[in-house]
Amino acid sequence: MADLSVRIGEVALKNPVIAASGTFGFGAEYAPIFDPGILGGICSKGITREPREGNPPPRLWETPCGLLNSIGLENPGIEAFVREVLPRMLGLGTVVIVNIWGREPEEYVYMAERLDMTEAHVIELNLSCPNVPGAGLPGAVPEKVAAIVAAARAACGKPLWAKLPPEGDLIGAARAAAEAGASAVTVANTFRGMAIDIRSRRPVFSNVIGGLSGPAIKPLVLRAVYEVAKEVRVPVIGCGGIVGWEDAVEFIMAGAHAVQIGTGSFIDPLCIPKVIAGLGAFLEREGIGSLEEVRGCAH
Amino acid sequence: MYPQLKRGEVVANREIAPGIFLLGVRGKFAASPGQFYMLRAWELDPPLFRPMSVFALEEEAISFLYEVRGRGTGILSRLSPGEELLLLGPLGRGWDPPARPLALVAGGTGIAPIHFAAQIYGGDAFLGFRGKPYLVESFADWCRAVYVASETGEGGTKGLVTEIFRPEGYRTCFACGPEGMLRELYRLCSEAGVPLFVSVEERMACGLGACLGCAILTSRGPRRVCADGPVFPAEELWGDG
Repeated sequence: MADLSVRIGEVALKNPVIAASGTFGFGAEYAPIFDPGILGGICSKGITREPREGNPPPRLWETPCGLLNSIGLENPGIEAFVREVLPRMLGLGTVVIVNIWGREPEEYVYMAERLDMTEAHVIELNLSCPNVPGAGLPGAVPEKVAAIVAAARAACGKPLWAKLPPEGDLIGAARAAAEAGASAVTVANTFRGMAIDIRSRRPVFSNVIGGLSGPAIKPLVLRAVYEVAKEVRVPVIGCGGIVGWEDAVEFIMAGAHAVQIGTGSFIDPLCIPKVIAGLGAFLEREGIGSLEEVRGCAH
Repeated sequence: MYPQLKRGEVVANREIAPGIFLLGVRGKFAASPGQFYMLRAWELDPPLFRPMSVFALEEEAISFLYEVRGRGTGILSRLSPGEELLLLGPLGRGWDPPARPLALVAGGTGIAPIHFAAQIYGGDAFLGFRGKPYLVESFADWCRAVYVASETGEGGTKGLVTEIFRPEGYRTCFACGPEGMLRELYRLCSEAGVPLFVSVEERMACGLGACLGCAILTSRGPRRVCADGPVFPAEELWGDG
């Protein structure tokens, strides 16, 4: 079996495949389908300081090869998460990445301090939720990203990943995140999109805008990963439209250290195990010793 | 019963009323009344599976009733016997064994989960249709009595199912259908003090409770239709709290 292990700053992953935040619950939901312990890591649903009920239905809308969502960060809040959910996640046998979202740097600081007292492995700073107003909108703004990452960095000793929006000054924001102490940047969150119900003549989402994911955005995100990997020193984690192992190889060749899979799991519940197996088979077939040998080779 | 991802072979896919299909799939499947499967018979697009309540379960077959509404159900409707599809299930929480006598009330394709409930629990069926009724005869196999209403008056009493149903005398009511029908039913059942459990529909992505795409707001906070439902006590959805 090929060695798929990767190192993202301080953290070693058994393979470069991570479940993207908001698509994999807290890890156990997919357990009847496959063992979540095979994953390189699992990102939790985005957590906020206080519990949130999320947006009213509809929260999903399909587009050609794409999916718009408007979930609105429904979550139990940091305290209930730490007490009731995190211990179960830590028992899944993989790296646990806690995704957090705040309106202000102070909220990130509060949650980072709380998580610093836990066994969570990584904190992913969600700087890009398209479905609630806050930091990182309408696109990446380097100064805001720098302020939040620096504040969280000062508040905890955990590795920090910065999950950036694909719009705005992405390269500037990635650079700012790295300089402020992020160990990696996740490129990217969903694109802001919308749909209109032509019968009611109104946007389908109560929040008007939703986040677009799925194979439709893959070429856009691959380009973004390629550009960020060229400009930024810290590892890049590619996220956007990955369904097959070939997609994951493309992201790695574009310079990604790891990839996150989200909507792919909805297209095929076995997407994640198939991508992991496909990557291993690819390395063996091509006689490649480790992912490092091909990482960024497209540059 | 843990959900599984399985392939199944189409044995029948019949248009039983305009735009409404009954799909039979060969294979060993499990489900309890009110549970559903996610179906898929295509590659990348449309991205999501289609959630379908179980219409009937047999030893070596399972069937689903659906209305063609978009691309996914359009593809399903063109499947021929011998072709394969993917099934993820059984999913969700259905109807627990009821206190009897049991009333089963359904409108349109909402008869699907109600038919499976009838197969397992029996009861009296009250079925409503917009036009010509369909599949009424298969309820007669399982139900003590079957009452039919249609808005056109074809094949039943002219009017809505909520006009022919009286909850008095029943100890439980199960229902599925359009929201307007379910809300009126809730009004009738609350007045009569009959507990009502309804199966509701929502767009779904994972079907497993992970993505929260199908969550609705209830008196107990947000609940996932796929994992906490699709069957809910009506008072959780529309009660005063």
